[in-house]
Amino acid sequence: MQTWQKLKKNPKLWQKFFIREKIIQSIREFFFREKFHEVETPLLLPSVVPESYLEVFETHLLDRQRKKRRMFLATSPEASIKKLLVAGIGNCFEITKSFRNTETGSNLHNPEFTILEWYRVGADYKDVMRDCERLILHIYESIFRHAEFSSASNTKRKKILKQVQDDKMIKYQGNSIDLSSPWERISVPEALQKYAHISFDEITNKSGEMFSKEKVAQVAKEKGYRVEKKNSWEEIFNQIFLNEVEPHLGTHGKPTIIYDYPRPMAALSKIKETDPRLAERFEFYIAGLELGDCYTELTDYNEQKKRFAEEQKIRKIKGKTSVFPDEDFLEALKAGMPKCSGIAVGIDRLVMLFADTTNVADTLFFPLSEFTP
Amino acid sequence: MAKITTSQFEKGMFIEFKDEPHQIVEFQHVNPGKGSAFIRTKLKSLKSGKVQEFTYKSGESVEEIPINVFEMQYLYKTGDEFFFMDKGNFEQLAVDKNIVGNFANFIKEGEIYQILIHEDAAVGMRFPKKVRIKVTASDEAVKGNTVSGAKKVVTIETGVQITVPLFIKKGDTIAIDPETGVYLERVGQT
Repeated sequence: MQTWQKLKKNPKLWQKFFIREKIIQSIREFFFREKFHEVETPLLLPSVVPESYLEVFETHLLDRQRKKRRMFLATSPEASIKKLLVAGIGNCFEITKSFRNTETGSNLHNPEFTILEWYRVGADYKDVMRDCERLILHIYESIFRHAEFSSASNTKRKKILKQVQDDKMIKYQGNSIDLSSPWERISVPEALQKYAHISFDEITNKSGEMFSKEKVAQVAKEKGYRVEKKNSWEEIFNQIFLNEVEPHLGTHGKPTIIYDYPRPMAALSKIKETDPRLAERFEFYIAGLELGDCYTELTDYNEQKKRFAEEQKIRKIKGKTSVFPDEDFLEALKAGMPKCSGIAVGIDRLVMLFADTTNVADTLFFPLSEFTP
Repeated sequence: MAKITTSQFEKGMFIEFKDEPHQIVEFQHVNPGKGSAFIRTKLKSLKSGKVQEFTYKSGESVEEIPINVFEMQYLYKTGDEFFFMDKGNFEQLAVDKNIVGNFANFIKEGEIYQILIHEDAAVGMRFPKKVRIKVTASDEAVKGNTVSGAKKVVTIETGVQITVPLFIKKGDTIAIDPETGVYLERVGQT
């Protein structure tokens, strides 16, 4: 049965879906209060930031003579927003659709999804950590009031208000999480030590070839993982991370901010001045759900150009669709991007969290899985 | 054993995990932020029945275990072993009590069950969701339980005692969930 049919049959289901509009409304409230601009950037682009782990949707633009030009659907609004930052827009946010091909067959991904990005100028990732804590609490309070108020009496409303002030607990799949700040903060090397009993030094070198495959492969093999020749440092590392570290993130009563990622996963983030093996990047998890990915933004044109070339090379090896790299983005960096920090948050995942559902398809009126059974 | 990759995963398939046969209960694709693709699975150990999560690298190779399902007749029990017979060739097979597990309370001589076999050894058994079984002795009602209706304890034909509603009498046939040992319904009366 399609979702619209289920809704027609059982009108009680609407409530779960209306959580989305409430979340989007409270995100706008939050950023307007913070005096952020809301921007709109294109979904249809002639070039993209080459990222080795993302597959793109490719299409063609036809001009009036039906001459074809290759175009791509945006995998995120990041490059476009950064051009606006260079132009001087200041603090800003966007709520938009993004598209990532091949991400089917999963409860956590829909190839077309809704993304929130915001950028704070003059800030680093620590400032955005605090933004996350405040934003999620704001959403929580809006939803809680909305849900309970719609049918509550006056005395009950007062009680609810007090409860919202005293108690910031959310329940996701039986896991109770206290959303009040401060959240748990743990670095990737610390988490690796704590949960997988590996020191970061064991799987890297402090200089020279920092991410030696031999070192990480050795540790993985000792733990019983199967390592093949074709596997990269990132794959071997992430398999250990996903099996041994991730199950602990945001599941011990508090949301978790996990920060300082290994350089092979730096993407567009700035390298740490105190340790060149790590990048100023964090993710936050609530009840095991990965919700957001933040960087202190890389503003160095030369470094970004180098990463473009590296990512293009890996894309080719992995057999990904060849893309035109966004040279205009490099041009913008060259013109000078202000120091800033930005984050991408999955709105569909936020709906999953607040609707207490384990499948992203249950948050969408028209999940892709209904079109492609 | 046959080498396969994660792209050939199917629900219900048997694979080797940590040197032991496991069944894929569930699997899905996951992409960590800025990372490669992975496959998250729930694997059920055929030996212990324990379910655990494991995340494979996309494209990782694993050993598929050929498992055959045989319909066999339960004969008798000695010590820790339950003996079944293949009615086609009359060969007998011993199944360890760990594999039969709780189902031992409801297994009936002469009935046909599905046994999972790997390399000539039983590695698992498929249990029905419901078993029909006769009540052979009935006691008085248990006092005090008035909230959810009074209950009493009866003895069933396999010699095990279970709790049932008051209206169940000796000679009735009842349905039980073999996994939990909980009474489901009355399916036949004397």
